[in-house]
Amino acid sequence: MEFKDYYKTLGVARDASAEDIKRAYRKLAREFHPDINKKPGAEARFKEIGEAHDVLKDPEKRAAYDQVGAGFQAGQEFRPPPGWDAGFEHGESFSDTDAAAASDFFEALFGRARGARRGGGGFGGEGFRARGGDHQAKVLIDLEDAYRGATRAISLRSVELDGEGRPHMRQRSLNVQIPKGVRQGQQIRLSGQGDPGIGGGPAGDLYLEIEFNAHSFYRVEGRDVYLDLPVAPWEAALGKKVKAPTPEGTVNLQIPAGSSAGRKLRLKGRGIPGEPPGDLYAVLQIALPPADSEAARRIYREMEENLAFNPRAKLKV
Amino acid sequence: MANDQEGFVLAGTIIDEQTEVTLDDLSVFCSVRRERIVALVEEGVIEPKSGGSKEWRFAGHSLRRAAKALRLQQDLEIDLAAVALVLDLLEQIDTLKAQLQSGNRG
Repeated sequence: MEFKDYYKTLGVARDASAEDIKRAYRKLAREFHPDINKKPGAEARFKEIGEAHDVLKDPEKRAAYDQVGAGFQAGQEFRPPPGWDAGFEHGESFSDTDAAAASDFFEALFGRARGARRGGGGFGGEGFRARGGDHQAKVLIDLEDAYRGATRAISLRSVELDGEGRPHMRQRSLNVQIPKGVRQGQQIRLSGQGDPGIGGGPAGDLYLEIEFNAHSFYRVEGRDVYLDLPVAPWEAALGKKVKAPTPEGTVNLQIPAGSSAGRKLRLKGRGIPGEPPGDLYAVLQIALPPADSEAARRIYREMEENLAFNPRAKLKV
Repeated sequence: MANDQEGFVLAGTIIDEQTEVTLDDLSVFCSVRRERIVALVEEGVIEPKSGGSKEWRFAGHSLRRAAKALRLQQDLEIDLAAVALVLDLLEQIDTLKAQLQSGNRG
């Protein structure tokens, strides 16, 4: 396993004060928190930062880390010396941070500790019959799936305790019906698919959070769907029935005469299905034919000569 | 727990504004004691739709908002008033980003 340089992760010196460490952590946490920073890689970086902070903020863990880590560089092959941790007390108190599973490096030093965000933390001591914890997972679907409904095979990994209280990874797969009408960011609750209950208590639930794959021409806002619809200048000016795509198939759409760019045409009830259903908006974009032939150039010149048109009239020039 | 067999399709329920969740649902979902959820309500991070404090009912999307608030509170070491502000600003950013995306496309 690779040695992790927690000081480098937080960008602080080896002799940094507790205050320096706290400041460095807070600054990095604000920058990389996955609820704030949606860029790929932010979540992994945040976990590293959290793990480094977990160790360095605790004087005992920091001392243990300093002792075992002296002489190692980040990325170097690392194996903890046998019996290195004699004299350090660590155990249940190491589960105070919330980010998901710890690195192998952390676990080799401090035991299984971080992680297990779910799992009834906070319910300890309430008796021996308890509801199992809830689980969460994200599911990516296409916009079209929200119109029609879909079935998705979902593979879930979770940490469970065996008979002796040791954690192990459990993998299972579920086929899940994605109901018609589901929207971006909504959750689907699967009752009883979370952690098993304790002492005969009911099992927890599994929550699937829905995320839409980016679509090349539709944009979704809540229940409503937007489509940029290119039209020719004469279609906008004179009006015309044109074809427009919708997630349910092609429709004929009447462009009213005298439409300008940015005009929104509403197709009532053609958004994401539901009670009430959303609407679909076609936002007109005026596409200019290229002046790439003598005929095209002649038409443009004719318009220039015959139309008293000042596109900048609103700018008063 | 044991519906791993091939071909078995589970159907769930959509959690939306009409779905009502209780204080206990929130507490189990977020893996925290009820008092932590009550604190979120007192700071206005989440708002009950109805009921006195014993019988509070929340809209379904409160589950995600509460969990996010608690993560931010713990990970960023900020108080709940600041968390409420962060959540509102994040929502505004999402809306603006969606608008920007459509504006840039033409």
